[in-house]
Amino acid sequence: MGITEKINDLRDIKSWHGEMPVQYLYTYGIAGEKLFRAIKDEKKFLATKCPDCNFVYLPPRIYCQECFTNLENSWREVENKGEVHSFTIVYLDIENKPLDVPEVIALIRIKGTNGGFIHKLGEINPEKVNIGLEVKAVFKEKREGNILDIQYFKPV
Amino acid sequence: MRKVAVVGAGLTKFVRRSLETGKELSYEASKMALDSCGLTLKDIDCVVFGSAPDAFDGMHMKGEYMLDGSGGFRKPYMRSYVGGGTGVFTPIQGWYHIASGLFDSCLVVCEEKMSTLRPHPQGAFLTIFDHTLERPLEPNLLWIFALEMNRYMHEHGLSKKDIALVSVKNKKNALDHPCALLAQEITVEDVLNSEVLAWPVQRLDVSPITDGAGALVLVSEEKAKQITDKPVWIEGVGWNLETSYWTNRDLYYPKQVEYAARMAYEMAGIKDPRKEINIVEPYDPFDYKELHHLEGLLFCKKGEAPKLTREGVTKRDGDLPVCPSGGLLGVGNPIAAAGLMKICEIFWQLRGEAGARQVPGTPKRGLAQAWGDLMQVGTVIILGR
Ligand SMILES: [Zn+2]
Repeated sequence: MGITEKINDLRDIKSWHGEMPVQYLYTYGIAGEKLFRAIKDEKKFLATKCPDCNFVYLPPRIYCQECFTNLENSWREVENKGEVHSFTIVYLDIENKPLDVPEVIALIRIKGTNGGFIHKLGEINPEKVNIGLEVKAVFKEKREGNILDIQYFKPV
Repeated sequence: MRKVAVVGAGLTKFVRRSLETGKELSYEASKMALDSCGLTLKDIDCVVFGSAPDAFDGMHMKGEYMLDGSGGFRKPYMRSYVGGGTGVFTPIQGWYHIASGLFDSCLVVCEEKMSTLRPHPQGAFLTIFDHTLERPLEPNLLWIFALEMNRYMHEHGLSKKDIALVSVKNKKNALDHPCALLAQEITVEDVLNSEVLAWPVQRLDVSPITDGAGALVLVSEEKAKQITDKPVWIEGVGWNLETSYWTNRDLYYPKQVEYAARMAYEMAGIKDPRKEINIVEPYDPFDYKELHHLEGLLFCKKGEAPKLTREGVTKRDGDLPVCPSGGLLGVGNPIAAAGLMKICEIFWQLRGEAGARQVPGTPKRGLAQAWGDLMQVGTVIILGR
């Protein structure tokens, strides 16, 4: 023990460079297919509602986590509007380099649901963001059926 | 320790690529298990969830991720993981939750979604090997099986034909399993003529990647009596681990399986497993593994399992039905779910609910076993009625 205090680069001692080379194709699942097809084709958000618990799932699920009722026939369209439940202003990118323009990331609670999305806010001065701010989704022109089809949420 | 009963079971279809997410698969199996015994999620005190490496689903901490699909939302919940041995170890964890007196009911869920990995789960398997001793050689998981199989054949003077009979039997048994992916009528010649993957392992010696989930409902004795007239009791459990150094193991014999079995036999008061156990579901991701494990479980002497197979003793209507479900070779191999499938099979067989797969007579006791981690763990459960 203790060598790391004297050696700054582990390549100076005997070592083997390794990788964990794995890639994935994630299916959206039964609920996810519906959600992302509706976003892509109709710029709509679809949620499921548990009739027993009155809980509205967005992102949608095909089951109620509380009572296990099957929700595959309990779909409803919800608005693409909501309010900022909480937010942060991000100054560094994933590699810790300063961003040219700070980004606002928010948990957006969508109206009429018990859920929402984590997404970016746009068309707004970061200093003007506040909790409770009403926002709506801005969709991309060319949509592919994924979460980035929502460009960002902007103030109503 | 308190008595623990299995009162419900559920199993999804085993498929090559499911549209369902891991959570959705888990939900389907869990709901089925609860419905089968007339319980709801509210009746469940705690949940144990089993799944093999995170790398398969591509979700770190997938135990936590699968929580809501497995009914664990706002309940005492834990993830179980001993590689391929998980499917039998997870119900063992469920068992001690109840046997200890801490809980009266436990939902046990096992899930695997292996189709997510690109281009093949071998990329993830690579990372289970020692990073400096083995990974530089770019090992494939098949190596380990091929080395074991070859040593097993060498030690007992066995031929590939002796071993292929297991694949033929299990794939045929699976024709009667509604969840099966690999059911088919094949011949020994088909196995011997299939593509060589890593000698002596050929395509039809091995069970491929699969998606699926299974679930069980475990309860205390008092609860069991309220729920059903046909409880199936967990009479014995055992688990054991061998060294992670291949170089220090006997490849021809799974000692850890023997130790796990001895632990379970002692708990169940079993002296002669061959006479006192009526059905066996040993872990069979490869055909030789069924034989390997029958020997480790002490159902016969070392090297004699092929003879039992040849003589038809292990057929579904034989004296000792082995893998009447169709096993991993016939039903499929969604790792953790595949092990749990074996417990489901013993449960249904002992209750006389196995349909076309029902073994003759009225079996009183069955054993399910799985095996895995770095090919080093043995996990065993004995069920009785
Ligand atoms: Zn509900």
